[in-house]
Amino acid sequence: MAKYVLRRILWLPFLLIAVSSVTFALGTYGPGDPVQVMMGAKYDPVVAARLREALGLDRPIIVQYTEYMWNAVRGDFGESLVYRGRSVSSLLVSKMWVSFQVNVAAMVVSLSIGLPVGFWIAHKQGTWLDPATITLSLLLMSVPIMVSIPLVLWGLCLKLHWVPCSGWGGILDARIIVPAITMGIPGVAGLARLMRASTLDVMGQDFVRTAHSKGIHPMNVGYRHILRNALIPIVTVLSFSLAGMLTTGFITERLLGIPGVGDFAIKSIFSRDYPVIMAFTLILSTAFVLANLLADITYSFIDPRIRLT
Amino acid sequence: MMKLINERTYPSFVLVLIWSVLVGSLFVACGDNEPTTVNIEVKQETPTPESSMAVPTDAQKTKDTKSGPVTLADVATPVSKTSSAEVSEDPSSPPGGVFNRLWSDPPTLDPHLTSDTTSAGVVVEIFGGLVSFDTSLNLVPDLAESWEISSDALTYTFKIRDGAVFHDGKPVTAQDFKWSLDRAVNPDTASPVAETYLGDIVGVSDVLEGNSTSISGVKAIDNKTIQITIDEPKAYFLQKLTYPTAFVVDRHNVESGGRSWTDSPNGTGPFKMVDYKIGERLILERHDQYHLEPAKLDKIQMNLAGGSSMAMYENDEIDLTGISLFDLERIKDPQDPLNSDLVVANPSFSISYIGFNTQQPPFDDAKFRQALNHAVDKKLIAEEVLAGLVVPAYGILPPGFPGHSEDIEGLRHDVVLAKKLLSESRYADSSTRPRIVITIPGTGGTPNLDLEVIINMWEQNLAVEVEIQQVEWATYLADLDRERFQAFAGLGWEADYPDPQDFLDILFHTESDNNNGAYSNSVVDRLLEEARVETDVVKRMNLYKKAEEMIVNDAPWVPLWFAGERHVLIKPYVKGYEITPMIVPKMRHVYIEE
Repeated sequence: MAKYVLRRILWLPFLLIAVSSVTFALGTYGPGDPVQVMMGAKYDPVVAARLREALGLDRPIIVQYTEYMWNAVRGDFGESLVYRGRSVSSLLVSKMWVSFQVNVAAMVVSLSIGLPVGFWIAHKQGTWLDPATITLSLLLMSVPIMVSIPLVLWGLCLKLHWVPCSGWGGILDARIIVPAITMGIPGVAGLARLMRASTLDVMGQDFVRTAHSKGIHPMNVGYRHILRNALIPIVTVLSFSLAGMLTTGFITERLLGIPGVGDFAIKSIFSRDYPVIMAFTLILSTAFVLANLLADITYSFIDPRIRLT
Repeated sequence: MMKLINERTYPSFVLVLIWSVLVGSLFVACGDNEPTTVNIEVKQETPTPESSMAVPTDAQKTKDTKSGPVTLADVATPVSKTSSAEVSEDPSSPPGGVFNRLWSDPPTLDPHLTSDTTSAGVVVEIFGGLVSFDTSLNLVPDLAESWEISSDALTYTFKIRDGAVFHDGKPVTAQDFKWSLDRAVNPDTASPVAETYLGDIVGVSDVLEGNSTSISGVKAIDNKTIQITIDEPKAYFLQKLTYPTAFVVDRHNVESGGRSWTDSPNGTGPFKMVDYKIGERLILERHDQYHLEPAKLDKIQMNLAGGSSMAMYENDEIDLTGISLFDLERIKDPQDPLNSDLVVANPSFSISYIGFNTQQPPFDDAKFRQALNHAVDKKLIAEEVLAGLVVPAYGILPPGFPGHSEDIEGLRHDVVLAKKLLSESRYADSSTRPRIVITIPGTGGTPNLDLEVIINMWEQNLAVEVEIQQVEWATYLADLDRERFQAFAGLGWEADYPDPQDFLDILFHTESDNNNGAYSNSVVDRLLEEARVETDVVKRMNLYKKAEEMIVNDAPWVPLWFAGERHVLIKPYVKGYEITPMIVPKMRHVYIEE
């Protein structure tokens, strides 16, 4: 187990070098460059050459790459080429923190609806409620956010004036409600189905039958025996999605005015803001590797039949 | 200044490149302040609040182009510091209030790096320079009290206002200006626009090339007098000084603040920045010691997080919004509750067009290009497709712009003539004609409706088939610069200073880097070169008119649209807000009426 974890962690630097060098090369050798975007239509080759020199973009790519990586290892991701004078870390950290909070809020919604619903319909197996609930949640999941967000805004914000339309004020601000609902509801279907399956699985286990036969009140069996055990796979699944919690989609962000990392990343790519793209790639790759590792470890704890070797 | 029409701007300043992204409909609602309404004008992300350049008044045209000794004592002398301090307590001018608006993160707050409208809109309120434009776009003194221009029109001597202070109370001196201008052009500053706005000053190129750290043509004569010498008598020089590149910064502030000195900028503008959280908010407060009449507002709160502009306006979260084409229909209805908030403003100065690469077949034949021009019914498209929100363009210079002439006939809709020209061209035979591809920038996949209609008209009227290819913005710019496109659309130009040079010379001179269609006409070149240094206004405008006529007839473009009127919603309690076609300091005139 310890060996497995160690090996996975030792692999991380190689993975990061592979990912970052491909990203760097694609950015540099691909068409377009940051100075061109900065100058736009008023492009003057002499001025552009001067800017490239001042920004260090005229040096050989291997020098640029090595310098970038060396600084990155020490936690310095450089300075944005678009937001001049701003360090990439400060930009990315603040935006990822926003995305993370939005995802947490959305997850609270998904969990608080998905789990009870899944648990409940597991007990209604065989009745019309079971397929009806799953169908409804699948329908809700299938509504694209381009449709659901305007609908929610129109209803809750413009017609009923219950919530602010958009903007950002942190996870404790009322403006979190719309993103939490619109991003959380689609997650309900998956969680409900997972919870239903997991609950049914546990309900069929011997210890549940034993508990029932001992005459324990059904409420107690449900809560103490079934629910607790049914939650275990959910935890694992959630740990897989940890890395994804650092980002939010740019469409949601733009429609709702959330200063998250998605829109920022897209814009950085379009404006060839290399330091930002690189940092984004490195941070996310690391996060995914670590989150998957964490998921593997949790899994092996929960289910001793799984051995990490 | 360059502008992306549906996309957020990362533009350079002098001229605007407009592109329409197809995702437009998605983003219409996202974050505009005063956007125009048609898809070719709906800016996608950045609250590029207004477009860039000026509708100059007649008075300005003559004033700005006057050479020889001029003292602008007659220009509305602004109130002095002491009396203006009293103004804010004057009950007749109701002070106070908080103005809420949507904005987006300014790429920079460093005036010397500013090259886009999102930054400029904030920078001009925090900082200032020697001269400025007022809300009617007249050139007015700012930190300079007055100036004199030598008889050879090369040397400008500015007297700095006595009461002018930075936000921390420190007086503004000529040495501050000298240091600021030296910094603006220093290669280490890496300003993308230093050359554009200050390049006329003697000695700037030495500093830019790293041969010197001090501009030889800028001298601090004494504490309050600064002298600037330019290389040739240029009528538009003072107007260039209104741009943030020429603004004064506080040396101590810059040097002690390091790379992030703009987190606590010490400017000279009517507002000081008190709070800035990236992606969330930027808050400005009144600077009470402002050297002109201080602002009336207590505070400007800029919401940087974006969102559905119209929804936020309707929910009273912001005081100002642009209107999308879809919303405009309903708001124009007098029954609509928002109808009374509707404000219609003068158009900005821009033109959109289709460009041809005049060196590549089939566009190397002027007759072929002319035929395509005559085959398009712009009037019909403007009215039917674009809801009358744009003005068909037959010339290059927009209406109201200096040098604009109603006499320019242009290549009007005339299908018979178009067919005749096509048959006379080298590409009359469709079987041997090269495949034609128009490239547009964007990432969405659907071209603008107007372009589709135009292509349809070519096909119907001339049986000329044209394909559309779409490439992503940075790639588009790179290929545009390399003159790789046979034809290109989705572009527009918008001037930053009201001078025909800013359109005609920059876009059509053979040597210009922005002549993306490789258009070359030696007669036009000569006219443009003569006009650069002609000091007689009338003669100069005539030179430009001749050049414009020749260009239009050579048809390197299909000029499409001049911007139409802009529609904006402003809350009725907001007073004194002027919608200007360019970024000018104007928030100090605004107040909230309870």
